[in-house]
Amino acid sequence: MRHVIAVLLQNEVGALTRMTGMFSSRGYNIDSLNVAPTDDPTVSRVTLVVSGSDAAIAQLNTQLAKLIDVVNIHDMTLGDHFERELAILKLKLATGGFAKVIVLAKEHGAEVLDDAQASCTLQLTGRPAEVEAFIDAAQKIGKLQAVARSGSVAVSKGEVTLSSYQKHHRLTG
Amino acid sequence: MNLLVDADQNHSHPLAGSRMTGADIVVQVLADERVDTVFGYSGGAILPTYDAVFRYNDGHRLPDGTSPMRLIVPANEQGAGFMAAGYARASGRVGVVMVTSGPGATNTVTPVRDCMADSVPIVVICGQVPTQAIGTDAFQEAPVSAIMGAVAKHIFLVTDPTRLEATMRTAFEVARTGRPGPVVIDIPKDIQNWEGAFTGGGSLPLTGYRTRLKAVIDNRLTDDACERFYRMLAESERPLIYAGGGVINGEATKPMRRFAAAYGIPVATTLMGLGASDTTHPLSLHMLGMHGTAFANYAVEDCDFLIAVGARFDDRVAGDPGRFAPNARHIAHFDIDVSEIGKVKSVNWHHVGVMKRDLEDLLAFGKRIGFEKQLDDWHRHIAALKSRHRMNYDRNSTLIQPYAVIEAVNRLAGGQAIITTGVGQHQMWAAQYFDFKEPRLWLTSGSMGTMGFGLPAAIGAQFAQPSRLVIDIDGDASMRMNIGELETATTYGLPVKIVVLNNYGDGMVRQWQKLYYKGRMSGSDKSLHRKDFVRTAEADGFRFARRLDRKADIETTIAEFIAFDGPAFLEVIIDPDAGVYPMVGPGLSYDKMITGDWIAARDKPTTDVPGPSEMF
Repeated sequence: MRHVIAVLLQNEVGALTRMTGMFSSRGYNIDSLNVAPTDDPTVSRVTLVVSGSDAAIAQLNTQLAKLIDVVNIHDMTLGDHFERELAILKLKLATGGFAKVIVLAKEHGAEVLDDAQASCTLQLTGRPAEVEAFIDAAQKIGKLQAVARSGSVAVSKGEVTLSSYQKHHRLTG
Repeated sequence: MNLLVDADQNHSHPLAGSRMTGADIVVQVLADERVDTVFGYSGGAILPTYDAVFRYNDGHRLPDGTSPMRLIVPANEQGAGFMAAGYARASGRVGVVMVTSGPGATNTVTPVRDCMADSVPIVVICGQVPTQAIGTDAFQEAPVSAIMGAVAKHIFLVTDPTRLEATMRTAFEVARTGRPGPVVIDIPKDIQNWEGAFTGGGSLPLTGYRTRLKAVIDNRLTDDACERFYRMLAESERPLIYAGGGVINGEATKPMRRFAAAYGIPVATTLMGLGASDTTHPLSLHMLGMHGTAFANYAVEDCDFLIAVGARFDDRVAGDPGRFAPNARHIAHFDIDVSEIGKVKSVNWHHVGVMKRDLEDLLAFGKRIGFEKQLDDWHRHIAALKSRHRMNYDRNSTLIQPYAVIEAVNRLAGGQAIITTGVGQHQMWAAQYFDFKEPRLWLTSGSMGTMGFGLPAAIGAQFAQPSRLVIDIDGDASMRMNIGELETATTYGLPVKIVVLNNYGDGMVRQWQKLYYKGRMSGSDKSLHRKDFVRTAEADGFRFARRLDRKADIETTIAEFIAFDGPAFLEVIIDPDAGVYPMVGPGLSYDKMITGDWIAARDKPTTDVPGPSEMF
């Protein structure tokens, strides 16, 4: 199953290396990884998307929790959450293709950043499936020259919490 | 061992407010941590801190004129790392290593990884090139943070000198708390030379680590959990404790023994757990696993309730996890590390907490409910297994059998000596044939399996336990790995006893080549090597350096060797074909165990050969 896991990571030298190093040394394949600052300058938020069996994901969560720099972990997939990704595409259009771009942008709710005919640039923010559908559709009206995706970011629905990781960490059972 | 933080962190340190260099701060925190021995090798980027150690010792001489913070210099930094590991394993205290940048630091990667794999607390202080030179491919520069980050429990690269003091203190806290492990501090030279105020207290925030650790420490066994546990024990007719290194690391030997004794539950230990139970006790089954005793492995096959305590179902114990303890209707697991629960084998009951306290609580609950257990049939069964499938070997061979040598040493050691080893056949023979009446006597590289561990670990252990008999049982190939440390033993006048069981090659590799590679001894034969171990030891200052090559001389030579007052070296020429039995092939279950020619097998000998990918 696909899991979206948010990790708060202390901004220490090498903290991100230690986290990504753990993924490779323990054999996890990460589908996407997003890292960005938070409102707290000492902490970054990492969002990773990873697929695996329940046991493998539980093990990944407990191994993450062993990293000293990790402040907190939330496996979003354990509950309702919002997941969004940003994509910026660059399309090379055939003559007269721009009209199709306008239609495409409208249908998918994308924004045209640059309407240059030779290299039209579009931006979309949406759920991963919407981003996939948008890229598929874009390929049909022009040649993709660049695809820049942010990787998923996510927050849980309702009350803000970053502690449900304990579901993976039952200390007695 | 598992304290959260020093509760009475001294905020009125007598030196609080004094101006110090970074190097002096490092040494002052070591002194505050009561570090009496530092193992290390100097070099350009750590010179300021070495100077600070010298000045500290000069200003704080003990009444007998000796240094309060001995500096022990090895031949190679790997030796320093294993000395610190030996010190830590033998004492339960944090071992300390101090090395320079670049090669000094990279030479300690192996012991750091070894300590991580066996959960041994050490702190490694590395010099680093000055901050402004980092990333320029400077002389003796290595990306220590990236390298060590992959192998250590944690690494700190100090970038802000005002955080150096707190970082030093935090490093000790992280090394010793929770599941212990190695912590590395990389300190650029300019930070060692920086001058500022010593505050005398404080540590880094580590919010996440401390929160998770607190959750484990606060996790007391509830009555409900105890009830469920005793229900399983009540249903069981053949319970078995499977005790690992966590019992020793968690200082939980006594409560574990008391619990086992209260209900008469037999105990089998892992390689790392040897000494958790007194191996001479009738209900001790010694070691289980790939080279465990046949009777321990049969007991694992027969048990109906397996109680794992500080053990992790490692591949050398549960080669085939699905068929490990196949008749166990229930498995319970105590550990301090939640990631070990269900990692290899799913269990019916688990508890993550402070083992020493939890086992005491468990027994107290049993007493409160008046729990009793009659296991006479099981005890008779265990006694029969122990007698029928006892360890044995060719006692009539004209060649010296390694087992006989270990038995002879064991008679003199009496289960009270510290035994260290390298890795390979000699390590397994020592594990099988030595008695251990107490914990922290058996020091071996279990998980990493590092050849060359034995000699430096013995040196470190002797510093930690100066009045104990310390014996390194080594192999010829393992001895070669860190042979430079022979001189370290004589330099410091340590009375360590070093036995090299010489079978002219990598015996364990040859054993596998015989079993699985049609006898092609690729790279494992050393019969044409010219090494004269005795002359090597003599050249390094050993006044006792002998070769034992006649079976008739075993008792007298070993008696003189052990009795020698000072460092002693004994090479024993053993039967080169001696094998390690029993053996459960890699990836196989215990019913596939082969027991060799001299130990009685219960099942038909197996013809199963492990799959090639299982062969490690």
